[in-house]
Formats: sequence, structure tokens, C-alpha cells
Amino acid sequence: MSDSSSSHDSPPPPAITGVSEPPVANDSDTNAKCQTALQSLSSIVTTATIPPTISLLLEDNAVSAAISSLLQLPDSGAGDNNLCRWLYDTFQSSEPQLQLLVLRFVPLIAGLYLSRVPLRQPQAGFEAVLLALYAHETTSRAGQAVTVNIPDLSHASIYHESKGPAKNNSTCLNIAVISSTLDPHGTVRSTRRARIVGVALELYYGKISMMPRESKLNFCESCEKWAGQNGEREEEEQPRGLIPEEESVAVGGRSEKDSGRIPLPWELVQPILRILGHCLMGMKGEDREVCEAASKACQSLYLRSLHDINPKAILATGSLLRLREMALDPKNQVDHTEISSDNVLSV
Amino acid sequence: MLENQSKELSENREDEITRQLCANGLFMKTTEVEAKLDEGNIQEAESSLREGLSLNSEEARALLGRLEYQRGNLEGALRLFEGIDLQAEIQRLQASAPPPEKPVTKKNRPREPQQQPVPQHAASLVLEAIYLKAKSLQKLGRTTEAARECKSVLDSVEKVFQQGISDAQVDTRLQETVSHAVELLPALFKDSGDYQEAISAYRRALLSQWNLDNDSCARIQKDFAVFLLHSGVEASPPSLASQVEGSYTPRNNLEEAILLLMILIKKFNSGKAKWDPSVIEHITFALSLCSQTSVVAKQLEEVMPGVFTRVERWNSLALCYSAAGQTSAAVNLLRKSLHKHEQPDDLVALLLAAKLCSEEPSLAAEGAGYAERGVKNAQGMDEHLKGVGLRMLGLCLGKQAKVPTSDFERSRLQSESLKALDGAIAFEHNNPDLIFELGVQYAEQRNLKAASRYAKEFIDATGGSVLKGWRFLALVLSAQQRFSEAEVVTDAALDETAKWDQGPLLRLKAKLKISQSNPTEAVETYRYLLALVQAQRKSFGPLRTLSQMEEDKVNEFEVWHGLAYLYSSLSHWNDVEVCRMWEGRKEFKPALAAFLDGLLLDESSVPCKVAVGALLCERGKEYQPTLPVARSLLSDALRIDPTNRKAWYYLGMVHKHDGRITDATDCFQAASMLEESDPIESFSTIL
Repeated sequence: MSDSSSSHDSPPPPAITGVSEPPVANDSDTNAKCQTALQSLSSIVTTATIPPTISLLLEDNAVSAAISSLLQLPDSGAGDNNLCRWLYDTFQSSEPQLQLLVLRFVPLIAGLYLSRVPLRQPQAGFEAVLLALYAHETTSRAGQAVTVNIPDLSHASIYHESKGPAKNNSTCLNIAVISSTLDPHGTVRSTRRARIVGVALELYYGKISMMPRESKLNFCESCEKWAGQNGEREEEEQPRGLIPEEESVAVGGRSEKDSGRIPLPWELVQPILRILGHCLMGMKGEDREVCEAASKACQSLYLRSLHDINPKAILATGSLLRLREMALDPKNQVDHTEISSDNVLSV
Repeated sequence: MLENQSKELSENREDEITRQLCANGLFMKTTEVEAKLDEGNIQEAESSLREGLSLNSEEARALLGRLEYQRGNLEGALRLFEGIDLQAEIQRLQASAPPPEKPVTKKNRPREPQQQPVPQHAASLVLEAIYLKAKSLQKLGRTTEAARECKSVLDSVEKVFQQGISDAQVDTRLQETVSHAVELLPALFKDSGDYQEAISAYRRALLSQWNLDNDSCARIQKDFAVFLLHSGVEASPPSLASQVEGSYTPRNNLEEAILLLMILIKKFNSGKAKWDPSVIEHITFALSLCSQTSVVAKQLEEVMPGVFTRVERWNSLALCYSAAGQTSAAVNLLRKSLHKHEQPDDLVALLLAAKLCSEEPSLAAEGAGYAERGVKNAQGMDEHLKGVGLRMLGLCLGKQAKVPTSDFERSRLQSESLKALDGAIAFEHNNPDLIFELGVQYAEQRNLKAASRYAKEFIDATGGSVLKGWRFLALVLSAQQRFSEAEVVTDAALDETAKWDQGPLLRLKAKLKISQSNPTEAVETYRYLLALVQAQRKSFGPLRTLSQMEEDKVNEFEVWHGLAYLYSSLSHWNDVEVCRMWEGRKEFKPALAAFLDGLLLDESSVPCKVAVGALLCERGKEYQPTLPVARSLLSDALRIDPTNRKAWYYLGMVHKHDGRITDATDCFQAASMLEESDPIESFSTIL
């Protein structure tokens, strides 16, 4: 609908704002980039009205749904796909707001991309977007690894005192690698695919508190597909609306439900689990739908890790499931900040 | 103390709760006040309290507010609390705050005969009123306002009690309000989405002196750890003010969360706080994310007895140790937990034990036993794990076939291994790992057609993302003597691999070049590989994890080995160009030295044994005494790897030099049969 776009894009095009106010060039630059992104989006998404500002767009369910359904079209990942190009350009604009918009679709893109790999479709479009995210992260941390010092309680800390002999603070810290060093990649080499997608998921996790719930629901659904069928209950076998047509076609004897099953190396599992942990325990307020989707995803990944006999994944997913169980137990839902309800009230 | 009295006063009210108001030693039933409140007559309710209990206006309102709050009438409670000028009260309190050095008596109960200092009592009253206001707002969903009120409770406490709160200073009721507010505030900020405020509220709760009891402190620590782990908001490091010289200050969320959880577990273990089962799950999750499961094991080992059953503990520890690569510790624990007097049918433990045993030839037979039990126990809900059990059985049997034993036994084990893997694939037809293992098993039995089919299927299923799939296909092709195709596959694999991971592929490529009688390019490839391996050794810090290459890194020695081998072969080929490079030098000694180094490094290395045996045998023509050594090395190699063509060949040569012609013929026959199906590197190098 070109009429809707023209009505919203009435503000002057970038050139004018950019020239008129040199001192606030950054602000107007941002505006210009946002307006350009909105404009070009309106030529791609024709089934929903594009809101006039980026912050509105982030919240706009209709547009998100329209983009999501475009992404799920069979040839959506191709190199000449307009939407992929838009996502790529939008992320490259290096405007934080616009980047959030792209990150919002990472669960869907990663989900479709990895599950489609065995189908040998051209996916240069998806790869370009994922490589852009990877390159962004590589640059922003200069390729360095992300590490954590595992604390040792024999050192006193800000939260506790230690009775042991005072040791030199710098000695014998146990360093754990959370995310290993990043080498620049210009293309997706297949043996690096999981790492590149994993880094995109790390980036997504970094902004997860700003991600809308639909995006998290997309993610949980992708996880279930990735895990594949590992003996879940029968009632879960109902056909799911979101599986695109082309993927229902059995490939070389692979069943419909299983078509999304992918190898799950730790470089993927680790960011996946961090995101699921957030969906289960880190969200503001209670969102039952997201919680349930995440716990289903966890269940699938737990079963998958049993099938792979992957002890680290068994430990992590098992813990998440038990924590979920504990949270649902009414015995644990005591409000400790409630005052005692004595029958005798005194001053 | 008045329970009995209040119970006697039966009421017609539906909620059956009878409340009494009490102040200054006087008592009053709530019914009449409640009626007035329900009619909206706050003034009247207030004045009847002031008369009945001789209270001042603020006290009366605070009491009424609490009554309304407890009745669940939150709007009413809010109206009452808003009627008190709490800020003014606080300012008065501050003004009358006792100088810090003067001790304050802690008693202010009505029954105490002494005169109470005003601030304690009044503070308690005012702060409780503000706290209940915050609670009411929270329950009405107005969390931002609630957080503001709650924060003002803590701000006031800090102003009034400038030295912090200590046990001797404060009466229980005031302490209760303070503790509640300290615990509530971060939760309110969290719910209102104000994450940075939530973080500073948590830190304020834990780093200031609030005289919290151990359990509420533990709850706050746990909540904060959960928040740090899962909120997705990166907390800035704690302020410099809270950092103490020489003490550890966490730098990021994970560090802070893990520190808090460890402190909590220590508190549980020393009995300072009530055991909370969720804490061990949180720390398991957090440390697994960091791949530090051996630290999880340490925490589990320190947990007091009685919390977990011993089998639970053994099984969790086994998972931790096996994830940390400490296989033998894990197997020992699983042996205990799978003992017939413990839980011999635990499916996860059985499968894990089988998997761990399948990696080690000497344990493979034991592993096959676990796998069989696993298959038997995969029933009902767990039936989907039957395929996993069969797969593990196949792997264990396949490994068992590698342990020196009779040829008959070996082929029996191999065919049973295949049968089990075939059975597994009926359950998990799309498990790429299984497809791969089946392929390798076929290859080991020299069914190369089936092997190459599975190798291709594996590459398709994984989208070429797993390096060993490429290598396997190239090896199968090389075994089929299709060297140029194998090289095409290797080149394709090199394209899909980042530089640092290319080692094993380059090694393969060099060998393929040799097989195609192209030593110059082989030398080139080896040189490139050598440069890569040396660069790797120099630039790899401990922080780089090589995703797929952990077990299969090319070590520098191997490359020298390859080169040495090549040079010693070159002494046969009279290639002019290469000979100029190694002019006049007899390459025997450095080659032998290299191989002997290899044997010292890994005494069961079949290639080294064969190579040394071969070199000694070559020289044997002139130098008889080394022949027995060569013979024993080669026999040894064949005991480990009976399909080693070269070993058979050189053993035949040894026999020939020694004059045992019949033995020599047998050996040559074996060698020539194997030659038609020999891969360029042993298949067992990839599984």
C-alpha cells in the first residue's frame, strides 16, 4: 500500500535536516537514517502500516507479524531478497535503535537458517545478516574472548569475609571462557556456521531485556525445532501453524517434525541456554506464555541432550527444568515481605 | 497472649476473623471501627480510636491504615496513610535523632515501666505506615510509586540511624519493617523495569548495615544472583566506596552471581541459613554455562550429607566430572551408583556409563554391559532412549573389537556392533552422529561402498558443518583408491574451514599427494602445515577454544614425522629437483630419530612402530642384528591394528631377510589384500 507509506513519510527527506542544523548533526543524522529505514521498509512490507517512528515500530505487532511471515516464505533467505537486504542495511547503519529492530528478528532468522541448511537452499541473504552481526561483535570486542573469573571463597570479597590467611588477590583465579576469541569471517564457512549464529545469539542475549515477547516466543519455537523429536509426549505432535510449507516436505526420509533438527554444538547451546534462562526467570513480571514456551523448549533440549549424552547440556537444562518446577510449586510462592497478620493490631 | 479472648468473641462477619486493636494497655474490638470505615467515616473511626485507646491522630490513622491493609482494603489503607504527613514526621525524627555515641535502649513495649525514648517508637510507627503504603501500592500494581515509598523508608532509616543498625539499638518491630523494606525495594524496582535502580537496591541491601537476619539476607543474595544471571542487564561494577582494599570485587554479572551463590552454599553448609534447593540448581546452571563443571562438583561435594541421596549425588557428580573430561572419576562414581544394591536401573546413569566406557578400549566390554542394561530398561516413558542404548552398545562393541583378541572374536564383535548400530538407526533415523558412527563401522570392516554412502549422508545432514565428516569421506575415497576425488573433497573441506582448523585436512592432503606420486606438492603442503602448526603454538593463548579440533589437533611432531617419511621415501625416487634440495644427505638417521621420538611420546602409536620397523628392515639387508627388533615392533603394531597394510608388508620383508619364505608369503598376501582397501589414514583416527 503505497498510499500509507507516503502519508507517513511526509517529513522532509534526510538531506534537508542534515544540512539545516550542523551542530546537532548526530541527532538529525539519526533521524535521517531512521526515516530512510522506515521508507524502504514500507516498500517491502505492504500488508501493514509502517508507524512513523522507530520506537513505535519496535512495539508494532502488526508490522512484526508481517515481517515474520515474509521471513518464513520459502525463498526468504536468498541473496537477492529485499527484506534481507533491508535487515542488513538497517543493522549496518550502526544506529542502536535500528539495530534493536534487526536483533528482534534474530530468533526467526537463526531458526530458519539453521534448519534450512540441509535443504541446500540458497541462503546468502540470511548469511549476510548473520555475518553483519558477527562482524559487529568481532569489532566491538576487538576479537577478544569474554572471560569470567571463577571466585574462590578463600579470598575475602565485598560480600564476605575470609578467615583464611590473606592471599595475594591476583593469584590462582580460575578463568573460564564464556565466549572464545573471534576471527573475522567474510563468508560463512560451514564449519564456522554454528559459531557465527552463536555469536548472533550472544548479541541478541545482550539486548534481551529490550526484546518484545513475540521475539522470545519465536526463539523458544526455534529451539524446539532445533532439538528435534526426542520422545516428547504425543499430544505435542499436532501440526504447528508456523512451520512453512516447504519444510513440511520430507527430505530424504526425514520426517516433517524432524526437519528442523540440527547439530547442537556447545557454541550454540550455551547462548541458547542463557536466553532460555532469561525467558524463564529474568523477565519483568510474569509472562506465562513465554515461560511455558521456554520451559517446553528446555524440555526438548533436555531430551535432546540425553539423546546426545551431552553431560554439560544435561546439567544445565536439567537445572533449568528443576528451577521451573520449584517456581511453580505453591510452597515456594511465599511473599516474605508481607507483614504478619496478627489478630491483635497495636501501635 | 490474647488468642483465647479473641477466639471467644464470635462474630457474624463472613471472613470469621476477629481482630482487636491494642495500645497503651487498652483493647478495643475492630468491628465498630470497621463499620465506620466501611461507611467512609474516617474521621469518626479515627476519633473513636483516639478516645478508646488514647492515641494521637497520627497513631490512630496509622493503626486504621494497618487494619484496612490487613482486611485487604488497599484503597482505603492508602487514603488513610496519605492522611498522615509522613515526610514531616520523618523530619521531626531526624531532628530528634540521638547522637550516635549515646546508647539507645531497645525496649519500648507498653508493658515496660521505663520511659521510652521517643524516636524509637515514633520511627517504628511512621516507617511502618510508609512501608504499608508501599505494599498497598505494590498490590494495586503501582510499582513505581511503591518503589518510591519503599525507598523513602530506607532513606529515612539511614538518616535517623546514621551509624547503621545494630542488634542492640532497635526494637523488633522497627527491625521487621526495615528488613521487609530492604527486601522489597529491589523487587519493586525490578517489577517496574528500573533495572539499574534494582541493582543498586540489591547492593545497598547487601553492603550496608541493616542488621538483617541470616535467612532474609540469604533470600536477597539469591534473588540478586538470579537477577544478575537472567535479567539480561549488565550491571556496572560495584561502586568504589564498597570495595575494600585487598578483597575480591566481581567485574561482571556472572562473576558476581557465582560469588553470591557460592557464599550462599557456604552459609547452608555451616548451618547459618536454611537450605534452599534452588541455589544448587542456579549455581549448576551458571557454572555449566562457563564450562566449569568441576567447580560444580566441588560445590556438590561440600553440600552437607542428607540433602541429596547418595545415588543422586554420585550421578550428579558423574555428570560434572564427565563434562569436565575426568572420565575415570566419572566412571568410578557410576560404578557405585549402578551397583546392584543401589540403583542399577537408572537409565541416564547407564547410558552415560556406556558412553564413557565406549571411549576407552579397556573399558569397552564393561560399557557394552551397561548399554545392554540400558536397552533393557528403556521402556514406557523412556522408550525413546532405546535407540541411544543400542547406539552405545554398537560403539562399545566396536571399541571392544580393537582390543587384541582372536580374529574370530574380533569379527564377531564387529558384526554385532554393526547390528546394534543398525538397530539404533531404526529409532533415530535422522541422528547424524549415528549415521557417522555407522559409516565408520562399515569402513573399519572394509565395506567401503556403504561407508561412503553414510559419509555423504552425514555431510548432507550436517550441512558440512562438522569437519570430521569431510575427513571421513576423503579417507573412504582414498581407501577406494580414488585419490583425486579424495583430494577434491579435501579441497572442498579446506574451503569450508577457517585457517586455524585446517591442520588435519592439510595433513590428509599431503598424504594424498604422496599417494598420487606428487612429492613436490606434498612437501609444499607439509611446509605450509608446519608453518601453521608453529604459528598456532605461538599465538594460541589459553583463551582460544578450538571448537571442533579439541582432540584432533595436528601436533608438530606429526608433521615432522610426515616429512621424515617423505624424505626417506624420496631416497628411492630419483627426482632430480628434490634430490638437489637434500643433496648428498642420507635421510635415514634424522628420519629414524624422528620416529623414535614419536614412540617415546606415544608408545602405542602404530604408525611409529611400523615406520621404525620399516626403516630397520630396509637397513636389515646390510645390518642383520636389527631385524628381531623390527619384527617385534611390527608384530606389536599388527596386534593393535591388524589391518595395517604396511606392517604386513614389512613383516614379510623381515621374514624374507631371515629366510622364512613361507611366513613372508603369507604376510605379502595379507598386505596385497589390504592394499586394495586401505585408507590413507586409519579410520580409527576420526572416531
